[in-house]
Amino acid sequence: MLSSLQNPRQAAAQLLNFALILSTAFMMWKGFSVAANSPSPIVVVLSGSMEPAFQRGDLLFLWNRNFLAETDVGEVVVYNVRDKDIPIVHRVVRKFGTGDKAQLLTKGDNNLADDTELYAKGQDYLERKDIIGSVVGYIPFVGYVTIMLSEHPWLKTAMLGIMGLLVVLQRE
Amino acid sequence: MASQEKITVHNIADLKNTSDDAIPNYLNSLKFRQDNSLLDTRLALGYGAFAVAATCFLWDYKLGFEDTKYYTAAAVALYSVLNGLLTFWIGSVEKGTVYQGVAADGSKISIATSTKKLVPTYHVKVTTTPKKGSPQTIELARSFTEWFDSQGHFIARPFQTMLATTVPLIAQADPMRAAAGAVARSEELVNAGSDVLDAILAADATGADAGGAGKKSKRRKA
Repeated sequence: MLSSLQNPRQAAAQLLNFALILSTAFMMWKGFSVAANSPSPIVVVLSGSMEPAFQRGDLLFLWNRNFLAETDVGEVVVYNVRDKDIPIVHRVVRKFGTGDKAQLLTKGDNNLADDTELYAKGQDYLERKDIIGSVVGYIPFVGYVTIMLSEHPWLKTAMLGIMGLLVVLQRE
Repeated sequence: MASQEKITVHNIADLKNTSDDAIPNYLNSLKFRQDNSLLDTRLALGYGAFAVAATCFLWDYKLGFEDTKYYTAAAVALYSVLNGLLTFWIGSVEKGTVYQGVAADGSKISIATSTKKLVPTYHVKVTTTPKKGSPQTIELARSFTEWFDSQGHFIARPFQTMLATTVPLIAQADPMRAAAGAVARSEELVNAGSDVLDAILAADATGADAGGAGKKSKRRKA
């Protein structure tokens, strides 16, 4: 196992395998990003505000291009509140005007009030550029792992421990 | 001596890698000049692709998505091309080649090895090209048990004998192994149990200790 490290070329080739796994995963993500024109083309639903349409942990696929029609009332969109980097998944319920400057109001299906409370100070509506994509597909529940990991940090430690143990046992 | 290192005999990847590593050791000790251009090309393509991804990551991290998306699109395209070339190179050019080199007389040698899943057989394809003349291909398939003992020690002598007796170009460079092989190969070694291999291992180890300064003992180290 370690003998291959004596030859720098072999060591470089082994390191390359690892590097290519990382970079290929990253470039696939970027490929999706570029195709969907969205900085984050796949998101996980973090709250229950869109129930019963989406549950916590659902994985959503976004599309941020308007080839055929403008983003319109009824679409479920993901937006970032100005100066905050938390994506929120809600439905467009009102639209005033057309084009890039159209004023959009959103609301969670399961919320009593619309989102004016959630917006940044002085922001009463969304514009098209605040939206990072409309939901075009989803896979239920598979994103729940990431919610578990962020809500129970000890799970990260446990997972790293198990992976480390596997590496030691497998001697690969 | 590599034979002091133990591997898991049930792991075919380990068996193959250890054997693959022994080939350059052996041939380079016979004054073959190794040509690393295949591996170097693979490294250049692979690390080139990785550099593209790393650069893309950096500008994305520093400048954000919106400002860089056209560069990112170009980087994704370039990365796919480089990765495609790499896949082509490994699958259609290297084809499992583990050694390329030039013998003292100028003949070229290229050795490709492979294994099949769950079958402990080492498939070796040796292509030799004389300075003048057409290439000649020798294929052999041998069981790993011929040069690994039951504990997983690699034993250089039977392995080198296998190569020396089947490939004329290697026989020329190592007449001693080729001749020794002709006798030993007859029956016993091929059907040898682990005790015989252990005995050879012991003999090689003591031989190396005793004649550390001798030129010939150097040859056994693989």
